[in-house]
Amino acid sequence: MSIQIHKQGLSDSIQDSGRYGYQHMGIQVNGCIDYLSARLANTLLQNDIENPVFEIHFPASSFTFLSAQIICITGANFVPVLNEQSIPLFTPIQMNAGDCLQFLQPLDGRTAYMAVKGVINCEEWLDSYSFTNRRLQKNEEFSIMKESADSSSLLNNTKTAFLENLTHKVQAHLQNHLPIRIIPGPAWNTLEANSIQQLLHGHFEISSQANRMGFPLKGPVLFQQKSEEPLSSAVTRGTLQLLPSGELIVLMADHQTIGGYANLGQIILVDLPRLAQLKKESPFTFSLVNVEEAHQIYLKINEWFKH
Amino acid sequence: MVSIKNKWNIRCLGDHALVFSLPALINEKIANQLLLLNHFISNKRFSFIKDLIPAYHTLTLIYDIETLFTFLQKNNFTLQSWAEKMIADFEVAHPSYLHLETKKIIQIPVCYDTIFGIDLENIKTNNKISIEEIIKTHFENIYTVYCLGFLPGFTYMGIVNEKIIHPRHSQPRAKVIAGSVGIAGAQTGIYPTNSPGGWQIIGRTPLQIFDRHTSKLALFNTGDQVQFYPISLEEFHSINQHEM
Repeated sequence: MSIQIHKQGLSDSIQDSGRYGYQHMGIQVNGCIDYLSARLANTLLQNDIENPVFEIHFPASSFTFLSAQIICITGANFVPVLNEQSIPLFTPIQMNAGDCLQFLQPLDGRTAYMAVKGVINCEEWLDSYSFTNRRLQKNEEFSIMKESADSSSLLNNTKTAFLENLTHKVQAHLQNHLPIRIIPGPAWNTLEANSIQQLLHGHFEISSQANRMGFPLKGPVLFQQKSEEPLSSAVTRGTLQLLPSGELIVLMADHQTIGGYANLGQIILVDLPRLAQLKKESPFTFSLVNVEEAHQIYLKINEWFKH
Repeated sequence: MVSIKNKWNIRCLGDHALVFSLPALINEKIANQLLLLNHFISNKRFSFIKDLIPAYHTLTLIYDIETLFTFLQKNNFTLQSWAEKMIADFEVAHPSYLHLETKKIIQIPVCYDTIFGIDLENIKTNNKISIEEIIKTHFENIYTVYCLGFLPGFTYMGIVNEKIIHPRHSQPRAKVIAGSVGIAGAQTGIYPTNSPGGWQIIGRTPLQIFDRHTSKLALFNTGDQVQFYPISLEEFHSINQHEM
């Protein structure tokens, strides 16, 4: 009853909604960098939305199925092929014993998710399956704990209107080209006036150094009126830090709990998945939003997942 | 003496966190107030709180937006009015909290041999002070743990005597060994695991200060008082808890 890593990818891992309650000890949250695609994959398989999933980057791992499983792939399109036949995203797929799943090329997006019907059996620590720097290793095997219910109905060709609608909304959100929304942070007002203009109107790209800890950005260099190193305080996912070099970095799921760089603002939670799906040559801009609006947008998107 | 009455500041950190802060100083009294507030809020066990993270002059509260909204609506609060009420209630309840914690001083053995204290020479040259005096100055002080971060269990303590204040290496080392005791500016700290790092290393403790397999996890909590005491290389090896 298991899935084996046939070929090891560059930086693939198992992630869930992360580990909270231990940041005061310096323990990172971790978890999926695109929580919407991960939830979508679980929802399409009628799993609990917070079940652990495989988070896949390109070049991706390939997987050998040692027993029959139902899977669903969401997020980036890395052209998944099953025994050399291409398979669709956003669709429950039957895998049989001996099947091999590969990802051929990074066609669209940056981060793919593969959910498996049931629960991936892997190490749980402090109520989470997510870890920093624990990559899927060649030949590693994961068994799947199944619920008793018959899941063959998942394979019916027609999606319910609810699932059709949900998939459409999530994809439309992830793929739109609107600005990435930020709430100004404590160091916003320390920026030079010209730098504020550049932050609000300039084009940025995600650097090739991006990883699960943070996404450094390429774009205009920003300056503070006077550079002062603030006392370290908690940072969180989405924190937009200004490095002493004038470059920006967005903190992602594996970020350190405490940070001492100037905090220019926070990217709102629902836009982090959009960032997690932007390819490195795709330019984007920022716009400002207030906390109340951000809350309403977040709650609205949460509603999409409810029947 | 810093007066902190009415100095509370409350602000949002993006859409899922709230920061309570006092004036930005490395100050034991300020850190203490934040720990008491941390204690006060966490004891109320609000279901929407995912994390409470004290650090120097701030206490950051990470919340689940949906659970928070259910709570605010049910109790007729806004986020701002709830946060203000927390501070007001805390100020009232305060006296009964003042004596809650009796501070014990945690004693930490450190071997300051230059085999481990690879930056002692550095500080000696730059600060014009003998190695013996660096060591003595470091272990004579009692330090406060201001926060844990950077790595699980990494402890930021302060503040060191000005004679041994020294900036970080401009280029961090690729690998600092677990247990290494270092100085960064006026802070001192211990690396819980092998890691890249830029602190000036002056010694090593044989104690394992973070163990993910124990229920306590970290040897220190924010707010703890710590004092180092010197041990010989022989004593280091007889106590050594690190995996070799």
